[in-house]
Amino acid sequence: MATPLRSSAADRTRPTVWDGLVVLVILLLAGALFAALLPKETGGSLTLLVTLDGEEIGRYDLDEAAEGTLVTIEAPYPMTIELSPRGVRVAETACPHGDCAAAGWIDRAGEQIVCLPNRLILSLEGEETTDIDVVIG
Amino acid sequence: MPVRRLTRCAVLTALALALSVCEGLFPLTVLFPLPGLRLGLANLVTVYALCRLSGREALAILVARCFLGNLLGGNLTALAFSLTGGLLALGVMALLLRLPGLSLYGVSIAGAAAHNTGQVLAAMVVLDARAPLVYLPPLLLCSLVTGGATGGVAGLLLRRLPEKA
Amino acid sequence: MKLRALLAGCAAFLMLTGCAASGAEETERTFFAMDTVMQVRVFGDGGEEAVQAVCDEVQRLESLLSRTQPESDITRLNQSADGGTWVALDGETAEVLDMALRYGEETGGAFDVTIAPVMDAWGFGTSEEEYRVPDGTELAALLPLVDSGLLTLDRENSSAWLETAGMEVDLGGIAKGYAADRAKAVLEEAGITSALLNLGSSTVGLVGGKPDGSPWRIAVRDPADESASLGTLALTDCSVSTSGGYERYFEADGVIYHHILDPETGYPAEKGLLSVTVVTDDGSRADAWSTALYVMGAEEALSFWRQSGDFECILCRSDGTVQVTEGLEEAFTAEEDGNGYTFEIVRR
Repeated sequence: MATPLRSSAADRTRPTVWDGLVVLVILLLAGALFAALLPKETGGSLTLLVTLDGEEIGRYDLDEAAEGTLVTIEAPYPMTIELSPRGVRVAETACPHGDCAAAGWIDRAGEQIVCLPNRLILSLEGEETTDIDVVIG
Repeated sequence: MPVRRLTRCAVLTALALALSVCEGLFPLTVLFPLPGLRLGLANLVTVYALCRLSGREALAILVARCFLGNLLGGNLTALAFSLTGGLLALGVMALLLRLPGLSLYGVSIAGAAAHNTGQVLAAMVVLDARAPLVYLPPLLLCSLVTGGATGGVAGLLLRRLPEKA
Repeated sequence: MKLRALLAGCAAFLMLTGCAASGAEETERTFFAMDTVMQVRVFGDGGEEAVQAVCDEVQRLESLLSRTQPESDITRLNQSADGGTWVALDGETAEVLDMALRYGEETGGAFDVTIAPVMDAWGFGTSEEEYRVPDGTELAALLPLVDSGLLTLDRENSSAWLETAGMEVDLGGIAKGYAADRAKAVLEEAGITSALLNLGSSTVGLVGGKPDGSPWRIAVRDPADESASLGTLALTDCSVSTSGGYERYFEADGVIYHHILDPETGYPAEKGLLSVTVVTDDGSRADAWSTALYVMGAEEALSFWRQSGDFECILCRSDGTVQVTEGLEEAFTAEEDGNGYTFEIVRR
């Protein structure tokens, strides 16, 4: 048979120094966590998703990408994409029109670059919230 | 388990449920829009059960309260949130009650903080995202207030109620 | 700023959990069709089947209306463009051709599906060609082939013929809009009351409103900046189509050539417009009108709007004004800082 916990805590009517310590620990934890989350909040954590003909062929955490990282993509028309912590662009492409390279940088969650001849989509995913359902144009 | 203990557990479970429902009627989130923010009155029952009954019974009451509460209203996600939070709070408080030097204020505050941490962790798992972590620092700050308040009430409760009923 | 982000996050969180509770399940699919990327988002039960039905329907239409698929109705029609041969068509192809011819007449030739030979000369025809600037003599030789009057359609027998060899029909200016209409019909048959169709980002079809009943929010792209918008349209149950030179263009010798060609001159239409967005109930009309208004230019486009009364539009002019017709006054919210544009409501 389990017995009740014999705790001295129940007998104290006033907060003790140790309670203060608990408060301090929680304050420190909250502060540390807040500080740790700060850069992510302002930078807007972005993930690059690469799909080729409907299949995911790559996923890159852009937060961890060094400025000017070049990635070669094996597609029917090979292309090179440039990653940066702020976004992605098609740096070079062998596709006929090069519309994907002309699109320039995309840097917001929900944005896409499409290379039609390759059936390739570069899309940015992130935790950024927006009240827009679709962009036309 | 003697009938008296069983009855006591049942009454406490009912009390915890009633407290949860009462709390739901006056959501703190109206004052301060922070998801998961609540007074945590049901934690009172956990503190009481830990001090006057046993860890096992406190656990039984907690689990019963979560499942019954889920029947009263809520979905599976809500159950995951309250169960994770409740269990973590129970564990932390059971541990801290064994330490000398702390009062119920400290225990209760730590319990509230643990409860919020558990909820946020559950939310992160359910949503498969890091986003809910953003709410943890403000929730921890709030837990100092809510935990302090429930700690004070728990102290009153334990002093007013005779040890052997 | 941080607090705002936090509050927005909270709202998103609450909405997330709210959605989970109300059970408005979302099914999404992205697929390639009609030379573009399409995205279907369906809310509610039976989403998987509905999304599949939309894909099938769009692919079925593509197999009829494409001019790059070797077996399509349009390919067969184009291949026998030598005068005198009637080409038997599917009833639906004939219907779309009929619409295209009517739209051509209504817009005074600003919309013309026989523009294909000129488009090919520029390399805008398909995504596989190289862009190039055709010289004046080449265009002069091709322009006589751009004439909807030389496309004869027999609706009753579902057949058509092209009078001159070298003529080609390209339904690119109407097929996506028509596909939006058909896809909406397919979704409504499946009992779907909330869905968003993004058919290649220049054509959007809306079924109902959002699952919570509020209107869909459609950002209209800023022609000058890929990641900015002119403003937002709050709409339910209609079709929206945008045409803009920025969608496809190339630069040669310092000159920018875009893909919206004027059937009259064979050159990219330069009538002082950067983009045209058309809102109407009918997807094929929205699609055709957005191209036609772009070719017409702002003044003619607005007088066309004053006469017709069955559509609304947003004209983004190269002088920095954005003209919004009065029917969209309620639905349109300009971007807060305006992005350097001045906005005006146009009244009848």
